[in-house]
Amino acid sequence: MNGAAATATGDPDPGQPVPAPRDPVPPASPAPAPEPAPGSASGSAFAVSGPLPAAAVPGRDGMRDDAAERQARASQSFWTAVVGVPAIFSVLRLGVEAGGELQTTLLLVANVGPINLLAGFLTTAAQLLSTALVAVFALGAVLRVSWDRLPGHDRRRPLFVRWAEITPAWFVAASFLMALITWPLLYLPLLLPAFVAAFQLRPERLHERPWPRVLIIGALFAGYFWLLLPTVRDAGRQGDWLAILLFVVPPVLALAIAGPLPGAVIRPLASVTQIAVLAMLVWAALPVISTPVLPLTVTTVGDGTGATEDVRGHVVTTDDVNMVILQERGGVRYVPVDQVRGQVLCPSEEELPRHRLRIHDYHVEDSLLEGLGRRVRPVHRIDAACR
Amino acid sequence: MNEHIAGSRVRSVATTLAVALTLTLAAAAGCDSRKEPQLPSVQEKLRESHIYGQPTLRIGVATNEPLMGEVPNGVHVGFDVEIARYIAASLGYEGDQRVEFVSVSTEDRIPALQGGVVDLVVSSFSITEERKKLVSFAGPYFVTTQEVMVPTRHKDDIRTIEDLRDPTYKICTSGGSTTEAELEKHQIKALVVKNVGDCVEGIRQGRYDAVSSDETILAGFLARFPTEFEIVDMPFGTSELLGVGVPIGDPALRDLVAYFLDKSYQQGRSGETSPWQTAYNRTLGPWLRAEKRQPQPLDVPKLVDFDDKAPRR
Repeated sequence: MNGAAATATGDPDPGQPVPAPRDPVPPASPAPAPEPAPGSASGSAFAVSGPLPAAAVPGRDGMRDDAAERQARASQSFWTAVVGVPAIFSVLRLGVEAGGELQTTLLLVANVGPINLLAGFLTTAAQLLSTALVAVFALGAVLRVSWDRLPGHDRRRPLFVRWAEITPAWFVAASFLMALITWPLLYLPLLLPAFVAAFQLRPERLHERPWPRVLIIGALFAGYFWLLLPTVRDAGRQGDWLAILLFVVPPVLALAIAGPLPGAVIRPLASVTQIAVLAMLVWAALPVISTPVLPLTVTTVGDGTGATEDVRGHVVTTDDVNMVILQERGGVRYVPVDQVRGQVLCPSEEELPRHRLRIHDYHVEDSLLEGLGRRVRPVHRIDAACR
Repeated sequence: MNEHIAGSRVRSVATTLAVALTLTLAAAAGCDSRKEPQLPSVQEKLRESHIYGQPTLRIGVATNEPLMGEVPNGVHVGFDVEIARYIAASLGYEGDQRVEFVSVSTEDRIPALQGGVVDLVVSSFSITEERKKLVSFAGPYFVTTQEVMVPTRHKDDIRTIEDLRDPTYKICTSGGSTTEAELEKHQIKALVVKNVGDCVEGIRQGRYDAVSSDETILAGFLARFPTEFEIVDMPFGTSELLGVGVPIGDPALRDLVAYFLDKSYQQGRSGETSPWQTAYNRTLGPWLRAEKRQPQPLDVPKLVDFDDKAPRR
């Protein structure tokens, strides 16, 4: 058994002196715990009690205050990011949706309520948000467990490590849960090594003796591949190698991913991965910013002479006189309500699938949530007006 | 002790590898989620086809083939017309304002497509190798056989192919049809007119003694004059595959029509009521001697569409 349990519980190590009284920290930041025992580097990453080694050493009050302050600041910056990024994104999206026109943006601001905006954002960005959180927590835990073993490890820790430390376990668990229900099934296996890394779950946790451990792992793998074998076979037939890799490799990686990294790779890994993850997130955020806030519709407009015209766009608002439509190709159109002959909801081309694979009739690009939704309301034929 | 150090070294190398591979896979997944779909989509094919942006779709249909294509009271009805409406709606042309039915006779079907008079032909158009050199086909959407229909006055005289060769009987068929070629192959001299309807009218007026054509077309006339005619089952030995005619220069449109016919076929196979089945039940179904099913369309392209993620069961 490794020292994970001891660190996770936050029990003070009897070998360590009792910490001196310290300044209060914000409620979000947990109380500092004593440093894990040497060799217990694989201690649980969701240990709420983020170890602040300096804080546990008496006679270093200045450093301890610094550490507490840093933690408080990290906590603040983390929560600011969690709340602020969606809010800023939502407003930015309005500008993009309006086609960069000031007056159109103002029209949208006037008609799209903050709750609608935030709900719309969460609907389209839940996947990105959970990906960001999962990446931060998994990498943070991997770096943290390795960082603690470095000589002079009490110096300033990488950003992700600090974030992972100050985050309560329930929030980490909730992030993984959100990823579980919002990620496309195709990418879901990646959640397995990420989860194991974030909570540093080594196979030794399954059973103390090797043989039962091997049997348990064997049974888990058998179940996993029984579930996915038809899909993997189908992917092989279609030559979809990425899908095969994504289904087969992550569970194997999950077996080895927990544990400290060699000292030589930690520092470069810390800086490179953090920058890479942040860059990837910005790159992934661009399409989210340009995802429409309002649903796409086709409105059939008649001019009274029998001729009709289809207006493709997003309905901003409807009052007694006009229906205001933000056209797909730009520009706002005010259509008199009595000229509206019909209206249909249309899918957008971004929703077209990239793969032709299914896992027991669930499309691999659907998340669990979407897949379940499709079972509740099986899709109807695409309306002719949408073509 | 040394073993322990070696073990932990192996372990940390394994962990490094696992972390690196996970990051690589995550990056690959990220790129995959951002890339354009590789499979052609219905929308893409639509943009490639010549009908893209057209306000209406012009479809060539028969107007004098009962059950298949006719115009009682100014409204186009029949099995072919229903299939044409389904394809038009799938292509984005729903409702009679968006679809323009153009009357084409049997021999005009190919020139109408070649000359751009119509965008599609759905008019008992048999798929043959010769025709494939001039127009493209999507389908088949129906398999029929060649039959002979005789007036009740001849129902005991004309029973075999040999009887048809008897020069005392005047056999009629429509020009430019596969039946014409088939009769020639059996050394049967036939009088060729414009449409099967003309043959039927001729028989009723006593000018001809029998008419040969597809079972579907003959069933239509039998439905119109049930007491005057009878269909005689003759072993011509060929089956006619009816397809939707598309201009040869528009493979995208052919692919789309084939895709939507296949969609209906798949619906029927999974036990749902397919558009084909509805059309069949409303028109031909009650008049054919044997129950028919939608044949599997050939050369169906793999396209993606918005409803591809829908559950299949």
